[in-house]
This record gives sequence, structure tokens and C-alpha cells, in this order.
Amino acid sequence: MNPQKIIHLYNRVGFGLLPNELKKISHLSVDEHVDLLLKKAKKQQPLKVNTSELSKYDHVKNEREKRMMLQKVHRKLLVKLNTLWFKNLYSSESLLQDKMCLFWTNHFVCSSNFVDQTEQYLKVIQKHALGDFRDFVVAISKNPMMIRYLNNQQNRKKKPNENYARELMELFTLGVGHYTEQDIKESARAFTGWGTNAKNEFVFRDKQHDYGTKTFLGKTGKFDGTDIINIILEQPECALFICEKVYKEFVNPNPNSKHIKKMAKVFRKKYRIDDLMKYTLTSDWFYDTENMHVKIKSPVELLVGIHKVIPFEFKKERYFQYLQFNLGQKLLYPPNVAGWPGDKQWIDANTIMIRLKLTSAIAQQRAIEIAAESDFEDDFDMISKRKKNKAYFIFTNLNWTPFQNAQEGTNLEDWKQVLLGNKLSKETEQVIQTINHHTPREFCIALMSLPEYQMC
Amino acid sequence: MKRRDFIINSSLASGMLLAPNFLRAFEKIPKNKLGHKKLVVIQLAGGNDGLNTIVPFRNDLYYKKRPRISIKPEQILSLNGELGVPDYLSPLKNLYDRGYLSIVNNVGYPNPIRSHFRSSDIWQTASDANQYKSTGWLGDYLDVFKQDAHMAIDVDNKLSLALKGAKTSGISAFDPKNLNRNTQDPFFKKVLQKHHKDTHHSEENLGYLYKQLIQAESSASYIYENSKTYNTQTEYPKNQFGKQLATTAQFINSHLETKVYYVSMGGFDTHVQQPAKHKRLMKILSEGLEVFVNDLKKHDTFKDTLIMVFTEFGRRVEENAGMGTDHGAANNLFLLTENLKKPGIYNDAVHLDDLDKNGDLKYAIDFRQIYATVLDKWLEADAKKVLGNSYELMNFI
Repeated sequence: MNPQKIIHLYNRVGFGLLPNELKKISHLSVDEHVDLLLKKAKKQQPLKVNTSELSKYDHVKNEREKRMMLQKVHRKLLVKLNTLWFKNLYSSESLLQDKMCLFWTNHFVCSSNFVDQTEQYLKVIQKHALGDFRDFVVAISKNPMMIRYLNNQQNRKKKPNENYARELMELFTLGVGHYTEQDIKESARAFTGWGTNAKNEFVFRDKQHDYGTKTFLGKTGKFDGTDIINIILEQPECALFICEKVYKEFVNPNPNSKHIKKMAKVFRKKYRIDDLMKYTLTSDWFYDTENMHVKIKSPVELLVGIHKVIPFEFKKERYFQYLQFNLGQKLLYPPNVAGWPGDKQWIDANTIMIRLKLTSAIAQQRAIEIAAESDFEDDFDMISKRKKNKAYFIFTNLNWTPFQNAQEGTNLEDWKQVLLGNKLSKETEQVIQTINHHTPREFCIALMSLPEYQMC
Repeated sequence: MKRRDFIINSSLASGMLLAPNFLRAFEKIPKNKLGHKKLVVIQLAGGNDGLNTIVPFRNDLYYKKRPRISIKPEQILSLNGELGVPDYLSPLKNLYDRGYLSIVNNVGYPNPIRSHFRSSDIWQTASDANQYKSTGWLGDYLDVFKQDAHMAIDVDNKLSLALKGAKTSGISAFDPKNLNRNTQDPFFKKVLQKHHKDTHHSEENLGYLYKQLIQAESSASYIYENSKTYNTQTEYPKNQFGKQLATTAQFINSHLETKVYYVSMGGFDTHVQQPAKHKRLMKILSEGLEVFVNDLKKHDTFKDTLIMVFTEFGRRVEENAGMGTDHGAANNLFLLTENLKKPGIYNDAVHLDDLDKNGDLKYAIDFRQIYATVLDKWLEADAKKVLGNSYELMNFI
């Protein structure tokens, strides 16, 4: 397989390749690569932190006090979970699966201040990320964190709450324009009584469920939530909607309707996500040069990509959180139910500076300006302290071993190829020529400081 | 863009002569057509308790609902006999007496959301309660007029959603010197110097990255170069908010071409032990505002500056068990400038006898009417184009 194509594949289903990795796998065919990726998907690590600290406050009598203490612990554990997620990505063997999880958490978007609910939600995402889409939608609809996040807990026969029904169609399955306000009202009734309890279990509250007849997307019956999901999946728009989103994430941010239609045709047959990904990643058009290096890396892709070349460890964990905040993507803290819009929206005059300086800030301790984040709940002094407390250096421990290993039998040209691809402009090539005499380390850091490295 | 325009534009900002042509190829509206008015938006993050700020001190319901945290009548500086401010807000009262303050009551939006994040996003993006937008109303304003990043400055460490546009965003510049130093990286210069031709023109996203890099460099240098010699004689309160206002005044009084400034002050989420906390916040806010206005007055820039103070939601009318207040809905909003059309209390006071089912104030004025008015009458922009909808204009300016 052509090296450019392999690099493209691993840029999209992973976080890039090192030159020695590329050499090792270049003999495989497209099909072999994709089969391998699907096979390795099962090796994913669970996203679970030690939550035993939560039971430490069982004895506290004052409910208010207890709640405040627990809040703090949850907050702390969520940071741990965030870090663990990154650690898993750094050492991922299940690339495609991990990328799918990032994709789905930005599709079925949900967040919570409670670490146990968050873990439960992530488990659902992991379980279905390459599985049956129908089961996935049902599982998400029954997920306690989602039920709370989109107010289905308040969806009762006497007073339906339309929030979940609306987002289910608008953001999760069909997209605006393929249903009416009446469809939302009717489907909200079907989801009445789908709730959760204090133990974070799904509960069907019979008395709050509306057993009456509903008319939804042209069909009439005594539908419940699962029936609604089945009817939604019968709509051709559903597969198109999901496939367009997959296309924009994995193929090209500019959708190509011809290719998306083909994907939707495959997807609709069984609604298997692995089938869809296999078809997409083995299609000829996936490897068209016009699809290569056209996607702006998300902050997660950027950070994990840098880590792949130069494994780093922050001496102050806190700064890693600040960094995510400054780059505009903090895992587990999506902006709202629509998720991160991505692509151009990652970039503004401030984030581009941080992004370009990031590699040298991490690997050479060059100055960078990152602001501490503060919460709406913080008081004035806390916020002032945080605002003053900007970081100018992010001290790291570096592990150059993988880099050294990758250098064996490879040259600077190979690094350039894996980091930036080979369709660079003449001007960029000229810039690179001026740094050719640097050590391999400095050379690679410079390459990773080019705008081209922000693309994948 | 014509070659001549390019040279003129570039000469404005040092270091820009080397900028590749295509990268600067924004079809800009000539700056002199944008008017010379400035807007300063101040967000009180956390949800300010408007009822203990502009107090309905003749209303029994107010004292009934807040037996422990209400502002007692003897502590009130009356504004119009019906509404008043606590005595520690005397700097605000001074501004009111000078005719520089317009208080708009009952501002909000339909189906109010009581989450900080969501409601703040709704205010910053001018969206409906059930709509998710990834660009802010001031970013949209930049986009419509295809402006440079430095035309909207967030005087903070990180850019607010309000200033994010689809193609052009504002820039956050808390410390112009630092910001400028950050962008003056020799390697970046080398990269930019090499890119003379329109090589990335066809490559949409990469071209966009280069554009943003140029924007960062030119805007940072523009802000720094044009404000560094300014030396203020005014002493600002020694706190974070005072510092942000001092920087904003420095920019405005240096006559930067910047149209919009954004300042955020946090700490308003007063669920517990509100009285002492709120008093302190109000002092910081009002003292800062008075010094800021006087500073602008001194430089004759206040007449061209409109200050808007808003918060993502008001707080519940009824106090809670923790001597505080919970998240509410509609609230008051302040507008300050020298020549207000309607200084004082703009509209009806709060209706404490007509609350929504949560016990929160109902809105009478959609906040987007205020935005539309600011865009139309102050920034001379097409409000409908920026906001995507038409809103009934108001009469404060």
C-alpha cells in the first residue's frame, strides 16, 4: 500500500504514525489494515477511576454538608477520568474504536458533575461505538446521565417535557427539517416515564407513561420510546444524517453527497457501525488526495499526536487541564448538547498561537501563555487569583525513547512525510530547507510548529 | 483586494508588509464607514442579583420574600422614589444623577434557562433558548463586516464565545505587551515571509490557518504599537476588574480603531451568605465603573463609548435557606454613555406580584432588542443581518 495512503488512514483512525511504524506495516493491503483495526477494537481499555473516596462521606449527617463535600470529590475524580482518557489514547491499541468513542461522545453529547454517571455513560459509548446503531440509540435513551441531562426525568404523562424527543431527532438521528413540531410532541409522549433513580438505574415509571395513541412521522399506534426509535430508523434521512457526520469527521469536512449516499446505502442495511466504517475506510475515494490533510486537528488529536512523537508528562497536572481549556476542548466538558462544532471553529487568533507553540512549549519548555480556567460558581477572589495565575511555562518530563527508536533506519525526509504529508507548497518546502541542518529532534519540533502540522 | 489597498492597510500595522497578498484578502468595509462609536460589554458572570442591586424598596412583597437579605429602606439611596440602590452603590448613583445611566428592567428571553453555561451561551450568541449556536453576536458582527481580529478585543485571558465568528473572531488581549511578544516568534516570521504567493488559496482550511496566524500577528502588534505610549493619570481600584477596565480605557483613549471591548467580572453566583459577598461585588463594580467613566470623560471619549452591563440571569425573588438566592430569570441591565436618549429608569419596575411558576421575574424586553438597538443605532450595523432576525428597536440611544 502506498505510504501516503497508510499515513492518511492512520491520521484519521488514529493519531498519526512514526516512520518506523509506517515501514513495519506498509506491506499490508487496505483490507488487511481495516480488518486489523476492527479486530484490535476489542482491546480498548475501560474508562474507570477508583471512586472509593465517594463512600468516605457516608457517615456525614448534614445532607447539605455531605453534598458539598461529595461535589468536590466528584469534581476531582472527573479530572482524573479526563486524564485517564488521555492516557488511554496515548497508549491505545484500539485506535479505530477510540476514535469512534471520541466521535460518538461528540454526537450523543452529554455531561454531568457526577463521576459515576459519567463512567456509566462512557461504558455505553464504548460498548456500542462500532456496534448496532439501533441498540446504541435505545441504550443512550435509557442512559441515566442522558435522562437527566435532557430532562427526560421530568417527562411525565400529565406534563410532557419535549427536550429529549427534540434533541433525539434534531441532533442524534435526523437533523432539522425532517420532522414537525407535532412529531416532537407526539414522540415526547412516547418517552414519558423513562426515568432513572438514585442508584443510577433506568426505571420505567409505569404511572407516568402515556399509553395513548400517538401519530408520529405518518404512523399511528400506541408507541413507546423504542417504537419511536424504530420509526426514526426507517427514515432514509437517518442513515444519511449519520453518514454525513461520519464523512465530515473521518473523510473530509466538505461533504460529498455522492459518497455519503453510498455510505448510507451500506449503513441502512443492518445499521451496523462497523460495516459502515469498513465500507468507508476501504473505499477508493477515501484515499483520494483531495481528502488528505484537509481536516483541522481537534485539540485532542493535536495533543495525542504530539505525545505520540514525544511522550510527555506534565509536572503539574493542573496545567494540562488549563491547556485543554485554552485550546477549546476539555474532554468530558462539552459546551452544550450540540457538542464541539469543530473544524474552523477550533481556530481563532489566540488558539492558533497556542497550537503552533505547543510542541516547542512541551518539548523545549518554550514560553507559552495559558490562562487558568474559572467557573461560574467561583467567587471573585478565586477568579482573580486564577486570572493572575497564568502559566508561562508548562514543565514536562519527556521520554525520547520512541523518537530514538523511530530514527533507526529512517531519515529526516521520512519524518517530514509522516508529520506533514508530501503535498507541501513550494514555500513551505523552502522553510523546511532552512532547518535541515538541525538535529532530528529540533527538526521535528520545527515541523510540528508549522501550520501544516495542524492538519491531518 | 487591490494592490494599493493592500499597501495602505499594511502600513497601519508594523510587520505586515511581508504579509502575503492573499492572506490579507478580506473584502473589508472601509473603516471610516463603520462610524467612530465604541461598545464596551461587561458580563457579570454567575448571575447578579438584580433585586438587591436596583431595589424596589417601596414594595412590601420584596421584604416579605426576603426577610433576611433584603436591603432595608434606611440603607437605600432612592433613584425615583420607587426604586433605589443600596448606599454602597453610591458611585452608581452618581452616574445616575449625572444622566449617564439608563436602567432597563425585566430583560430576558422566552423559556428562560437556569444553567449558567446555557444561559450565558444564549446571551453571548443571541440564540433562542432551544437553539445551539457556535458563533457569538459580536463575532457575527465582525463577520458581516469582514473585520480584523483586533476590531473586537476581549480584555481577558481567553476569548469569549460572544466574540467568536464563523470566519473572523475577536482577539483576547489582557496584556498587550505579552500578547505581542508571543506573536513575534522568529520561526513564525520565517514561515510567513516565505508565503508570498497565493499557494494555499485553494486549500480552504490550511489557507484559513495561515490567515488566522497573520491576524494574530498583525492584531497583536497593532494593539501593542498603538497603545504602548499611553500613560494614564487615573488610578483604578486595585482589583482584577479595575485592571481590566484600566486596560480597556487605555485602548479606547489611545484611539484604537477597535469597535468592541468585552470584559467579564465573575463571582455573582451568591447561593449562600449573599449580603456580604454581594456588597463587596457591588462596590467593586460601581467604583470601577465610576472611575472608568471619569477616565473616558477626561479624554473626551465617553460620548462615543456605550457601556452595557449584563448578566446571564437574575436570581430567584425569594431568598433561600442559606441566606442567599438561587438561579432566576429576567433581570435588569445597565447602559451607560454621555448622551443617552432616555437616562434614568427606562421602563416599568419589576412586577413582584406576577412571577413565573418557579417564582422568578418574567421578562418584558427581549435582550436581543437591546442588541439590535446597539447594532443599529450605535454601531451602524445591519442588525437583522447580524442577529438573523428582526427585533423591535428601543429608544435609549
